[in-house]
Amino acid sequence: MPTTRRQSLTTRYLMTCAAIGAATGVLLVPANFVAAALAPTVPVLYSAMLGLWIVGPVLALALVRRPGAAVLTMLVAGVISSASPLGASSVLTCLMVGAALELAFVVTLYRVWASWLFYAATFVFSALYTWSAFVAFDAASMAPVVQALIVGLMMASALVGTWAGLLLARRLERAGVARGLAPARRGTPVVAASDPA
Amino acid sequence: MSAGSLAGGPALPGADTADGDARLGRFAGPAWDLRTYDPLVTAFGPLPVVVWVFTTRDLLTPALVGLAALLVILLLVRPPARVVGVLLLGLPVLAALMTVSFGVLTDPRAVDGTVLLATVGPFELWSGALATGLATSLRTCALLLLVLVGGLSTTGQDVVRAMVQQLRVPYRVGYAALAALRFVPRFGHELEVIRAAHRVRGVDHGRGPLAGARRRLGYAVPLLAGGIRHGERVSLAMEARGFGAHATRTERVVVPFRVRDVAFLLATWGGAAAIALVVVAALTG
Repeated sequence: MPTTRRQSLTTRYLMTCAAIGAATGVLLVPANFVAAALAPTVPVLYSAMLGLWIVGPVLALALVRRPGAAVLTMLVAGVISSASPLGASSVLTCLMVGAALELAFVVTLYRVWASWLFYAATFVFSALYTWSAFVAFDAASMAPVVQALIVGLMMASALVGTWAGLLLARRLERAGVARGLAPARRGTPVVAASDPA
Repeated sequence: MSAGSLAGGPALPGADTADGDARLGRFAGPAWDLRTYDPLVTAFGPLPVVVWVFTTRDLLTPALVGLAALLVILLLVRPPARVVGVLLLGLPVLAALMTVSFGVLTDPRAVDGTVLLATVGPFELWSGALATGLATSLRTCALLLLVLVGGLSTTGQDVVRAMVQQLRVPYRVGYAALAALRFVPRFGHELEVIRAAHRVRGVDHGRGPLAGARRRLGYAVPLLAGGIRHGERVSLAMEARGFGAHATRTERVVVPFRVRDVAFLLATWGGAAAIALVVVAALTG
């Protein structure tokens, strides 16, 4: 029996990710409807919505600090948000985001959990996503101002999403949620004594 | 749909009736119903076509692909009349909207040689820009229809079941995702409790859009904390009932992979290849 794997996939860890994923999915159902309305009419504003897909996996990774948290969370988010216009294909969209963010932590062998890695991961992902959106919307034929707006808004919204995810993770950690689930961090105490909350 | 049509269908491959009809549920239907196909095949099978359509720039290819996908949806998926109405009425409106909105965004310098159609405030609409916009809008509609083939014929839950049974995703992961569906109504209840608690304590974030955002964030943390704690309690209950004790488990709904799934995959990819290599070449001559 692969004991180490057993330990990393505890039911508590699975259901914690499932809860975060369910919350993300609930957020993404209306987001999908708004995106479906914005994409054909105001594609520039549509590009500002990217951050909504990033909050969930960042939050899960930052809070749980275990391999697979982002993928698992986004799998659940995809299943929940398949109640939106695009149906089951949202599973794939969400898995793609989760896997892309997870990749940065795979590369560092799940040893680095600093904020810069989260920002770096989202930066790389949103750059790739912006490129794909460029191809899809044929943005190369658009006015330079519009191109700059689309790139700027996408990147900015992804970084804001990361910031929000990290903020939520910090607040939840301070509230004592998921305590003992994440491996203890070296150097910093898990609960700061000076916390007013 | 019914078991009767399955028994009466002579065209079905023998594998369909081999084992456990009762456990096949709605997968035990005739081959003309795309809902009886493997969810992975219908949801992810058209993906190579999606990637290919992404890279096209002409008008004909996305129009043909979109038409083919629409035919598959109308003939094999047969969504409810309301959805058909939205598709048939909404798509042309969507295409027209996108043509104009993407046309407005097109770089005017690239289409200098064409006719200026209209000027609204700072925006100018050139006929060449409209052609670029039409290409983008046709492409987006084709992509939407391709995705809808899977989206309308299967559900997220069945995709998860198929992942567990065919992609060998650990069943503990799959069932965690299925259990999470029950968290959604729970969140609604929890939100009401948190709102009431904030009101009782007189939590005030002031007025205006910034205060609204702060209020949302104020809901987000307790909501997530409550959700995660609920998840932990559920995990205890699951473990107490022996969840994950064995390496394998039984399934209430069996997702089959049959000849029709292979046929669908081959037809999808073959159809796309035929459009790319034969039809477009023949029409543009």
